[in-house]
Amino acid sequence: MLYRTAGQFKTSYQADQALFPVRQDAVLLGLILLLAWVIFPLVASEFAFQTLLIPILIYALAALGLNILTGYAGQLSLGTAAFMGVGAYACYKLVTLMPWLNPVVAILLSGAFSAGVGVAFGIPSLRIKGFYLAIATLAAQFFLVWLFEKWGWLYNYNASGAIQVPNLEMFGVYVAGPQASSTVQYFVVLGVVTLLTLVCINLTRGNLGRTWKATRDMDIAAELIGINLMRSKLTAFAISSYVVGVAGALFVFMWRGAAEPNLFDIPLSFRILFIAIIGGLGSILGNYLGAILIVGLPVVLNTLPEALGLPISSATVEHLNIMIVGSLIIFFLIIEPHGLARLWALIREKLIIWPFPY
Amino acid sequence: MTRFTRLAAAAALGALMGTTAMAQELFTPNLAYRTGPFAATGIPLMNGQADYMTMLNNRDGGIGGVKVNFEECETGYSTEKGVECYEKTKGKAIVTQPWSTGITLQVLPKSNVDEIPILAPGYGFSPMADGTVFQWAFNTPSSYWDGASMILQYLEQNGGLDGKKIAFLHLDHPYGKEPIPYLEQQAEEKGFEMVPIPVGLKEMQNQSAQWLQIRRERPDYVVMWGWGAMNAGAITEAVKTKFPMENMIGVWWAGHDADLKIVGEEGAGYKSISWSFPNPDAPVLADIQKHVVDEGLTQSNAEEMKGVFYNRGLVISMILAEGIRTAQEHFEEPEVSAEQLRWGLENLNITEARLDELGMTGMVPPFATSCADHTGHSGGWMTEWDGEKFVKVSDHLMPDSESIRPLEEAKAAEYAEANAPWPVNEECSATN
Repeated sequence: MLYRTAGQFKTSYQADQALFPVRQDAVLLGLILLLAWVIFPLVASEFAFQTLLIPILIYALAALGLNILTGYAGQLSLGTAAFMGVGAYACYKLVTLMPWLNPVVAILLSGAFSAGVGVAFGIPSLRIKGFYLAIATLAAQFFLVWLFEKWGWLYNYNASGAIQVPNLEMFGVYVAGPQASSTVQYFVVLGVVTLLTLVCINLTRGNLGRTWKATRDMDIAAELIGINLMRSKLTAFAISSYVVGVAGALFVFMWRGAAEPNLFDIPLSFRILFIAIIGGLGSILGNYLGAILIVGLPVVLNTLPEALGLPISSATVEHLNIMIVGSLIIFFLIIEPHGLARLWALIREKLIIWPFPY
Repeated sequence: MTRFTRLAAAAALGALMGTTAMAQELFTPNLAYRTGPFAATGIPLMNGQADYMTMLNNRDGGIGGVKVNFEECETGYSTEKGVECYEKTKGKAIVTQPWSTGITLQVLPKSNVDEIPILAPGYGFSPMADGTVFQWAFNTPSSYWDGASMILQYLEQNGGLDGKKIAFLHLDHPYGKEPIPYLEQQAEEKGFEMVPIPVGLKEMQNQSAQWLQIRRERPDYVVMWGWGAMNAGAITEAVKTKFPMENMIGVWWAGHDADLKIVGEEGAGYKSISWSFPNPDAPVLADIQKHVVDEGLTQSNAEEMKGVFYNRGLVISMILAEGIRTAQEHFEEPEVSAEQLRWGLENLNITEARLDELGMTGMVPPFATSCADHTGHSGGWMTEWDGEKFVKVSDHLMPDSESIRPLEEAKAAEYAEANAPWPVNEECSATN
């Protein structure tokens, strides 16, 4: 009823190929954007900004980057965290070498370094596939984290080996570092994430996206119909690593404030891979849903007992939390192995034909 | 349905009681880690801290008549969870106890903005000792550089350092790297050779490569900056490779009874520098037995309560409680604010007499802090594993402040510059 598409006639090709051919989708997205851009900043507390809104957006962006590579181009990667690290360290070097640089420009630039490294580690993908490629990206993961530890220049020979985000100004307002307010950081993150999401939606719908999907579905067939596999795979690595690198820079500069090399180790890669898988490979929306489930839900669950006044010790809550989130992941994957995005797609289809299913 | 209503009623009641109890209390959250890879070392410390505060609440009705709300927020030693806990508690907390060098590094830059004192007893960033720069951070009673200095002094007194070779086995992590600048400086001055041997977080349990290197290098001493599973790994590996245990010295976090119990007799001679020491006859333990253990309010057990870490937990809570008491007396205000507690922690004076009053004789050396000195530099004792427990084997050792102070000031200034604008305590610099 709410989602009835009857009466929405397309009279031109342009209307038929619009980003949202169904009007309700556009309205829903508009509502979400309104919520994110206007309502949340007005009502959210410092706690909500720092533990829910900002991390969910950043993790979703990282998963989006991975999804381009794994979900759209079919190249399994286990090195996401290392590429995030490249973005973060590149951004750190940029702002310390050139303090006059606009922080947002620095963040967007740092993705380029990550893209370069991504392409270098993507070259083996021309020869090896599937699980074997996953091992090659795993090598990137170990090598890069080792490099972050051993190459003193990267962290300005800091005694602790960690990078600390300095206070960065943009138009007279602090956007990064301890002096920055959460609201400002949230807007910067939201702006970058919105922009990159829009770019990615259009990329995956366009020519490039189609070549990626063809490569994913069957690379020999793709080659036979004239797709240049090298170009297709390497652009996927480049764009994916760019997005992941920007997410890494945001991760450290807009949220954590400091990072040690160990942060970019394999658990983070797995976390992002889980977000992408549970959200749904080969979808954009799924990354957000996955991030809400994996990053947001535990935080909400942690605050529940206290809000309800239940006297449970903090350590027990933590154990319960792990169990609940774990079983939810299994539950969602059983009811819909293709992830949350597919679950939403099914619900939407049902809504469109409701209340008279054929 | 009735069950649901009852549950809802209970929840509502709980919420109501929660709000009434909040009327007057000192909220001192602890970012505990009772889960995760470091839980084994975390639990005794957390138990010690919690038990001391419970004891104060039950025996004296809190501090200065105000109950202490010593709530724990579980981090699992994860920096991400730690930041979540910090954000959750900072609204009404009067102190942050971050409990990991990683979380301390995250929270430290925010301390000037949020204005909540960070209490990191015996851990964190050594230059935090410079109170004029780090106005809100405290690493009483001893910093890592103090620890390194005390170890060097002990070695100097027992066989000298000139021409010797020291292998510095450390966790490859901000924590493990802390003492390197100081050790490097001292190596040059005192004429010994320092060989840093890092242990990656993934190699903590399997250190065969590191110990192979140690065998090849043939160092006179091994100084260890280890934590969690790394300590047990290093100690078992040392026993296996027949490294003379009496030449192996750990920092205070590497002196956990349970790690040594694994090797027992064979670990005899292993040393650990410590600024705290269990005193089983201390009256404070009798009070805890009476007001906490007998009431069934502890999560600890008799075995653990004899250990070094549990007793260190007690000392840590004592430092916080004394900070609160000092502030209460100075401001004549039972419910101290974060700002007032900062003053309290800055003006601690834990004398021998005060320790006797607290029933903690011999559990920590006396020390005092000031606005310029946020560490107190208490010094400590060298302790040795005798096969069953740790015993004191040295007199009270004092760190070499003359060599540490300039380094602290230089590194603190460097930090302030990297994090500009960073307000410093001008008032304090003027008087010192």
